Amino acid sequence: MRPFTYTRATDVASAIRLLSQNPNARFLAGGTNLLDLMKEDVERPNTLIDISELGLTDIKSIASGSNKGGISLGGLGKNTDAANHPLVRQHYPLLTQAILAGASGQLRNMATNGGNLLQRTRCPYFYEVAMPCNKREPGTGCGAKDGINRMHAIFGWSDQCVAVYPSDMAVALAALDAVVTVRNASGQERRIPILDFHRLPDNQPEKDTNLVHGELITAIELPQNRLADKSYYLKVRDRASYAFALVSVAAALETEGNTIKQARIAMGGVAHKPWRSLKAEAMLVGKEATEANFKQAADAVMADAKPLAHNAFKVELGNRSIVLALQMAMKGSKI
Amino acid sequence: MDEHESPELTEDEKRLFANLMPEDLNEILDTGVNRRHFLKLMTLAGGGILAAQSAVAEQLLTRPSNVPSPTELAPFSLDNAVNVSFKVNGTARKLTVDSRMTLLDALRERLDLTGSKKGCDHGQCGACTVIVNGHRVLSCLTLTASCEGKTVQTIEGLAQNDTLHPVQEAFLKHDGFQCGFCTPGQICSAVAMLDEAKKGQASYVTENVRQTTGPAKLSNEEIRERMSGNICRCGAYPNIVAAIQEVYSGKPVEQIFRSV
Amino acid sequence: MKDTNKAVGSPISRIDGIAKVTGKAPYSMDHPVTNPAYAILFKSTIAAGTIREIDSAAAEKAPGVLAIITHKNAPKLNVKGGLRGGALLQSPEVEFFGQNIGIVVAETFEQARYASRLINVTYDKKEPKVDFDKVADQARMPKDKEKADAKRGDVQAALGQATYKVEEVYETPIEHHHPMEPHAAIAEWNGDKVTLYSSAQIVNGAQSAAAATLNLQPNQVRIVSPYIGGGFGSKGGQWANLALAAVAAKQVNRPVKLALTRQQMVNSVGLRQHNRQKVSLAATGDGKLTALAHEITTHCAINDEFVEPCGDCSKIMYDTPNSLITYRVAPMNLILPTYTRGPGKSTGSFALESAMDELAYKLKMDPIAFRIKNEPERDPSNGKPWSSRTTVQCLREGAKAFGWEKRKPEPRQNSQGNYWIGYGVSAGTYPAHQRPTSASVKLTRAGETVTAIVELAAADLGTGTYTILTQTAADALGLAVQHVKVKIGDSDLPPAAGAVGSVGAASYANAVNDACEKITQELLTKSGKQFFVRPTAAQLMRSEKLTDYQTRVDSKPPENTEEFSAHSFNANFAEVAVNKSTGMVRVNRFLAVTGAGKILNPKTARSQIIGGNVWGIGMALTEESVVDPRWGNFVTRSLGDYHVPANLDIGHLDAIFINETDEHVNTLGVKGIGEVGIVAVAAAVANAVFNATGKRVRELPITPDKVL
Repeated sequence: MRPFTYTRATDVASAIRLLSQNPNARFLAGGTNLLDLMKEDVERPNTLIDISELGLTDIKSIASGSNKGGISLGGLGKNTDAANHPLVRQHYPLLTQAILAGASGQLRNMATNGGNLLQRTRCPYFYEVAMPCNKREPGTGCGAKDGINRMHAIFGWSDQCVAVYPSDMAVALAALDAVVTVRNASGQERRIPILDFHRLPDNQPEKDTNLVHGELITAIELPQNRLADKSYYLKVRDRASYAFALVSVAAALETEGNTIKQARIAMGGVAHKPWRSLKAEAMLVGKEATEANFKQAADAVMADAKPLAHNAFKVELGNRSIVLALQMAMKGSKI
Repeated sequence: MDEHESPELTEDEKRLFANLMPEDLNEILDTGVNRRHFLKLMTLAGGGILAAQSAVAEQLLTRPSNVPSPTELAPFSLDNAVNVSFKVNGTARKLTVDSRMTLLDALRERLDLTGSKKGCDHGQCGACTVIVNGHRVLSCLTLTASCEGKTVQTIEGLAQNDTLHPVQEAFLKHDGFQCGFCTPGQICSAVAMLDEAKKGQASYVTENVRQTTGPAKLSNEEIRERMSGNICRCGAYPNIVAAIQEVYSGKPVEQIFRSV
Repeated sequence: MKDTNKAVGSPISRIDGIAKVTGKAPYSMDHPVTNPAYAILFKSTIAAGTIREIDSAAAEKAPGVLAIITHKNAPKLNVKGGLRGGALLQSPEVEFFGQNIGIVVAETFEQARYASRLINVTYDKKEPKVDFDKVADQARMPKDKEKADAKRGDVQAALGQATYKVEEVYETPIEHHHPMEPHAAIAEWNGDKVTLYSSAQIVNGAQSAAAATLNLQPNQVRIVSPYIGGGFGSKGGQWANLALAAVAAKQVNRPVKLALTRQQMVNSVGLRQHNRQKVSLAATGDGKLTALAHEITTHCAINDEFVEPCGDCSKIMYDTPNSLITYRVAPMNLILPTYTRGPGKSTGSFALESAMDELAYKLKMDPIAFRIKNEPERDPSNGKPWSSRTTVQCLREGAKAFGWEKRKPEPRQNSQGNYWIGYGVSAGTYPAHQRPTSASVKLTRAGETVTAIVELAAADLGTGTYTILTQTAADALGLAVQHVKVKIGDSDLPPAAGAVGSVGAASYANAVNDACEKITQELLTKSGKQFFVRPTAAQLMRSEKLTDYQTRVDSKPPENTEEFSAHSFNANFAEVAVNKSTGMVRVNRFLAVTGAGKILNPKTARSQIIGGNVWGIGMALTEESVVDPRWGNFVTRSLGDYHVPANLDIGHLDAIFINETDEHVNTLGVKGIGEVGIVAVAAAVANAVFNATGKRVRELPITPDKVL
C-alpha cells in the first residue's frame, strides 16, 4: 500500500472539491474493495477522502419528478440497510435478494450502495501486478484472453479486456431501470441511467464506468414498478455462498392471468457490465408464461454470446439459469 | 506461568453430571448406555458451571504483560500520521497511526489485542471480524483512521467479569472449532448476526423477503448462510451451527456421540 | 473431590477451549516481544531463469526500512538442512513462480509492505515447465523406492479376459492447504540462540531443520508452538520462511515478525499435486475382482521430489489375484508438493472408489455388497494379518444408519422438485503407526491434593492433543483431569513425534501412559511395600507423604507391531441434491463410519472426522488451484478464487465410531483419526452425483459446468 494522506471530509461540497482537485485522490466509503486493491498495489491513491460520515444514507419515497412514487437510496447508505429497508423489501424484493446474494454479512455492513456500483473486476490478472492487464496498466495486454478465462465474459468483451463486472446489486438495478444521481464540484447534479453507468471495455478497459473524476454518487433512484410480486435473483456459483457468480440472473415479470405484460432479464457474471436483454424481454411481452416461451427468450439472450476458451459452459448455464429464474419469478420463490 | 501452558480446567461435564446423578456416574461412564440421557441432562443444566471455571481459566491464560503499554509506543517516523480516539472494549483509546494501518493491525500490534486474527487480510475469510458500533465488520478492510469516535468490540471484550458470553459458552460446549484460529471472528460474527436476526434482517436463503414483520427465524440453513462469511478450514461448521442454534433458540441442542 | 479413573472415552470439552473462545490462545504472531521489526518476503515473477539484477535503491530509501536481504547479501545457509522447497536466497536461480527472492525489514508492517513494492527485478528467463499436460508424457519413475512399480500376478491378462471391467482416468487438481493461520514466525535472538515462535506440527523437526539450515546446533534453536492455526500437512515439514525470519532478526538485531500473506501461501509452503490416475478393474460376473491396476502420473519440483502415495488404498483395500500400482512423476517449475491431509489416500481413493462404483453399476450389484465380496482376509500387499479391520462393519452399520435401502440403483430415479437426489458410498483406510516419543511427568502434593504436570514437545493443531493427553494422564495417575496440566508445543520439552500422518494420538498418548506407568512403578518401588490392590501414583504420593517426584520415559512402539498390518478404516455415505437447471451440487447429508481403535474423546474425535469430511467435500465440489500454463503463476491465489467450503456448503454431517478393540496396534489400542476422515469422501460424493444424475464426473472438483 502506497503512502497516502487521509482526510475526513466534513461536508459533501468540500469532499467533492478535494477530490476534483487531485486526480490521484479517491473517496473512501466502505473501503471493502479499495483497501483490498491498495494492499495488492493495484490502486495507488495518494489521498483518501473519507466520506463515510457525510450522511447521504437515507432511503425514502420519491415525491416528485420522473421517478415519482419510486424510492431513492442514499449513495453512502450501507448495503445491509438497503437490502433490509421495508420499502425495498416490499416493493423491490429483487434488489434485496441481489444484495443479499453478494459478499458476506460483514462486507454488506461495510459496503455502500455507491461503492458497490464502483466495484472493480475480480479478474486474477487484474489483481496480480506481475501479470499483464490493460485495465490496470493500459498497453500491457490482457492476461486472461488467452489465459485462464473460465470466470470471464461471454458478451461484449474486446481484445483489450475480457473481464466481468462482479456486482450482484447492479444486476438487479439494471433490471429495475435504476437511475444513478451524481454531483460534481460545481454542485451540478447528473442523472445516469444504470445501463449507461457501466461501460463495455472497448479500447479503454481502464474505464469501468462513465463517472467523471470529481463526481460523487449521491443516490440511486428506483422507479415505481409492478414487478414486486414476480421477481427472483438467481446466482449460480462454485460454492454455495460467499463467491462471485458464474452467472446470475435478475428476472422480473408482470402478468395478467398467465399472460406476460412486462418482463425484465438482466445477467451478471457474463460481461463488463450488467447485461440486460431488452430484445428477449420484448419477445416475452404478450406471450404466455410458459417454460417454452422462457426458453425462447433465453435462446435470444444467448444468441449473442461469444465464449472464450474456458467458459463455453456459461452459454448453456446462462440459458438454463434464465429459464429457471423466470420460473422462480413467476412463483415468487425458490423452486 | 508460561503462556503456552494449557489451562488448568475441571472436567466440566462429568462434574456437572456427578452433581446431578452421582450414583449413576460410574455405570454410565463404564457402559455408555445412558450417554444420550446424560448428555441431555448436561445440556439442560447449561453452562453455569463452565462460566464458573472460566474465571480460573481467564487468570491462567492471561499472557504475561512484558510489552510496553500502547501509550509508551512513541510513533516514530510515521508516514501520514493520523490521530484517532475511539473506544475499544469499553476503554477509551488514543492512537497516532500510519494512515495505512488497518484496524486489525492497530488492535494486534498497538493495543495488544491479538484475539482478532489475520487470516487473509483481504476480506475473504472473516477471521478478523469485530463489532464496530454494533455491526460486524472486517477489521482488515477498516482503516484505523476511519474509526474516530467509534466503539469497537473484539473477542477480548465479550466475556463479562469472567463470565463467558453465551455464544462463547456454546462454542465451547459444541466444539465449534478445532485449531481455534477462526474462532474469535466466528464468535464476534455470530454475536452480531443474532442481533441482525432480532432486528428482522433477511438473508439470501430467506423464503420470503417481502415479509418484514418481527425477528427473522433462524433455521440451521439460515445460520449457515449468515455465517458463510467466516471460513473455518478445520471444518467445524456443523458444530458452529449447533452452538449458534442453541443460543438463538434458548434450548439445548443435543450432542450425540455415536458408536456401535 | 474424589479421584476418578474414567476420563478416557468421556466427551469432555477441549481443555484449551476457553483460551480459544476468548481469543487468548497465542498463535505464532500473537506472542509478545519487545520492539519488533516487521519483515515481508518478495517473490519472483517468473517461473524459470536467473535473476539478473535486483534494484532496491528506492526501497532502501523508503521510510522505516531497516534491511533488504537478497541472495547477494544473505548469510550462507545450508540448503540441505531439512527445510522444504528451497527458496532460501542462496542463489540467483529461479525454479518456480513466486519463489522467495528477498526480504524487506522495516519499522512497521505498512512500511515493509510498501517498500517491497518498490523493488525492481530483471531476469534472464528460461522456458518454464508449467503445463502439466505438456510434461505428463515425459514423467519418469520416482526416485523414492516406496513408489517403485508393485506388481502381483498379470493384470493385463486378467483385463483381457474379463467381461466386466472399468478402465478410466481420474483427475484431481492441485490443492492448497490454506490453514486459516498463514505460516508465520517471530524470531528473537539471545546471543547465539534464537527462539522461533512458529506453528509446527513437528516441533523437534522444525527445530532440527531450522538449526541445520542456519548452521546452528539444535540446542541453539527453540521452537515455541503452543497453538497452531491449522496445518493439514503444510506445517509438518517446514519451509524457508522459518529460517528467513531468523536471518532477518539477526540482520536488524531485534525481534522480527515475518508472516506470509495469503496470496504468498500458494507458492511458499507446498501443495497437493495434480494427479492423473488410471484405474483398471476387472471382475467376474458375480462380482469377484480379478484385476486392479492403479497407474499414477503426477509432478514434483524441478530439483526435488515428493510424490503422494495415491496407490496406497488400492494396495490393501480389496482382494484380487492380479494387482499393479505404478507411479510416474514429471519435474515442473512449481513449488515442491508436500503432505496434504490424507496424503495419497484421499486422492487415490477418489480414483479407486469411483472405479469400484462404476464396476458395481456395470455388474448391477449393490456397491456395498460388491465391496464386501472383495474383502481381503489379510493385507494383500504383504500377507500380514490385520491388527484389526472394520471395513465390513463400517459399511453395514453405515448402511443401516444412513437408510441406504432408500437408494435407487438407477440414476435419475429420485427427483425432488427441481433437484435430483442421489446416494453414494465409498470405503477408505489410513495406516496406524506409533512413533518414538518421550514424555516427563512431575507430581506435586500439597496436603491431600496431588497435581501432575505432563510435558512433551507434542503439537495440537486442533486435533485435541491437550485434551486427550490430560484425559490419558488423569486415568493413568489416578487424578481428576483438573489436577493434570499438559505442556506441549515447545522444543525445550522432551522430544516427541509430530502431529502428522495420524501418528499424534497413538504416539503421544502411549508415551504419556508409559510415563505415568513408570512413575507409578518407581513410586511403588520407592515405598518398598507390597499392596494387595495396586495403588495409583496419586495414592502413593499421599501414602508415602512425598511432596514432589518426577520421571521421564522414552517411549517406543511395542516390538511386535511389525507383525501386523495396522490401519484405521472407514465407510462414507453421501446424499446429494443436484439442481436440475444449474448443476449446483449440495451434500445434504453425509455419514462417516470409522473404525479407529480406542476413541480417547468422542467429542474431539467426532470433530476430527467431520472436519476431514468437510475437506473431502471441498475436494469433491469446490477446491482447485489453477496454474497459468504460460507463466506458472496461480490464478487462484486468494481465498476469493480458491474455494474452501463455506458454512452453507455443508449440510448435515454425522459420525459413528466402531467400538473396536485392537490389541496389536499399540498398548492403548489407539489409531489415528486426523487423516482417515477425508479418505474416500470425494468418491462418495461423486458416486452420489452419478446416482442422482447419471453423470460420472472423473475430474474434480465437481463444479456446475461439469454437471450440466
